Amino acid sequence: MNIFRHELKSLRKSGMLWAAAMIALAGLFLSLYPSVAGDTEDFRKLLEGYPASVRAMLGIHLDVISSLMGYYSMVFVYIAICGAIQAMHLGASILSRESRERTADFLLVKPVSRISIVTAKLLAACTVIIATDMVFFAVTAILAGAVAAAGYSMHLFVLLNLPLLFIQMIFLAIGLAVSVFFSRLKNVLPLSLGTVFGLYIAGALLNADAKEGAGRYLSPFQYFDSIYIIEHSGYEIQYLFAGALLIAVAVAVTCRIYVRKDIHAV
Amino acid sequence: MTVIELNHLTKHYGKSRGIRDVNLAVEEGEIFGFIGPNGAGKSTTIRTLLGLIYPTSGSAAVFGRNCTEHPEIRKELGYLPSEVFYYDNMRVIDLLNYSASFYKKDCTKRIRELAEMMDLDLKKKIDDLSFGNKKKVGIVQGLLHEPKLIILDEPTSGLDPLMQQKFFELIAEENRKGATVFFSSHILSEVQKMCSRVAFIKEGEIIKLERMSTLQESSYKRISLESAAAIRKEDFSLAGVSHLEVNGNAAKFIFKGNINAIMKAITAVELRNLSVEEPDLEEIFMHYYVKED
Repeated sequence: MNIFRHELKSLRKSGMLWAAAMIALAGLFLSLYPSVAGDTEDFRKLLEGYPASVRAMLGIHLDVISSLMGYYSMVFVYIAICGAIQAMHLGASILSRESRERTADFLLVKPVSRISIVTAKLLAACTVIIATDMVFFAVTAILAGAVAAAGYSMHLFVLLNLPLLFIQMIFLAIGLAVSVFFSRLKNVLPLSLGTVFGLYIAGALLNADAKEGAGRYLSPFQYFDSIYIIEHSGYEIQYLFAGALLIAVAVAVTCRIYVRKDIHAV
Repeated sequence: MTVIELNHLTKHYGKSRGIRDVNLAVEEGEIFGFIGPNGAGKSTTIRTLLGLIYPTSGSAAVFGRNCTEHPEIRKELGYLPSEVFYYDNMRVIDLLNYSASFYKKDCTKRIRELAEMMDLDLKKKIDDLSFGNKKKVGIVQGLLHEPKLIILDEPTSGLDPLMQQKFFELIAEENRKGATVFFSSHILSEVQKMCSRVAFIKEGEIIKLERMSTLQESSYKRISLESAAAIRKEDFSLAGVSHLEVNGNAAKFIFKGNINAIMKAITAVELRNLSVEEPDLEEIFMHYYVKED
């Protein structure tokens, strides 16, 4: 419990910053919506000028773009990237930080098992992410209400936003698992940015090629197709499973490696 | 009771050597010195005791239980590393309270006592502390839960002589109260003052384990002198002198044995300058190899 509290305290500030950044991003996009909705035809024509494959890559769907949910689902991917970077960064740094800042000699000689350290830190990271998302969601829902011309379905809005949390959990777990393989991870940011953008671009390129198929499993960004969510008010179960499996494997690998890891002197 | 027990402890780091077949037993209430030059394997041994690294083969046990499998043994263990690093954005008192929170007992009084003794300002931020003051935080942090085993890894670096003195008094006091002390250092004189037994480690292997009393009889001095007239090698050719270098009016050598004997030889020379120093460990090791092997 003490490790959890300590971690939460030290993550508080960055969590608030990330929430602010994501809110700003969503706010910017949503503030553009009234003009998009007002000029739907022009806007659609403009986007029609893009080749179909580019539209697919950017997640633009012409038939739903004029509705608030359709528009939001298009811009949501950028929010998801932002959130994924936060989560990946958090995951990659939360354990490796002790070695990087040379505090491992403090924490790891305390009478606690490595497993309980991983558990406490993982819980703290999840808590920060959930708190970030809740704040983000609350503010964005208010903003969406303000710009929506007609009413909008809160249920659908929740369904569209929830993948943010899922994607973040996946990247948090990936970050953790990657970080334990380094004996001393000097710089986390390039790793986080590289992985997130790499997977995003890989997913976008694959998506442009083929809508379905095994390729979609490669990028967590493709697990939650907004059109499917809008049409079915639900998620594709096999990708939910894939995400859960990915998280479980990554956490298991983390525990296994970290428990047997040599912590070297500075 | 045996507090520390190392059995054929071996640790390889890839191809480079760590430690090889280290065997040690430290009894309850002892102050045990662990001496070796930098890179000899002192820290590797200590880190195994702390459960920070896993042995390649052999075993390390504290209070009779395996170090890497039983984190709970560290409840009774206090550790002071040679370099201390803490979470920078914390105040000293917050860090100490965080540290105390792992031991499930009230350490508030002990923290105050230790801080007062070490003259440490508890309200300061850790980033604002000098190296020496951070070290003091380390000392308080290592002792606040009144551990039964204290592991010190080159503890005095960064402490001024006055603080070193206080620190040694503190350790001696803990020892009187029953704590066992495992004291690693590369400074022999420091260990000589306190320890009852001492082990020498070199290149990953224990080369000698001795009672301090035996070692004290063979205290080493490095003597250099200058005289008014030219010095002859024969002036200092007596038992216990080694590494003798004579260069015109100057002479340098290492002496082991009764200090009075060598003083007589020195006073026979018309002196201009004289220095008597503790030889560094490498020189003594050289000695051990030459003499006892």
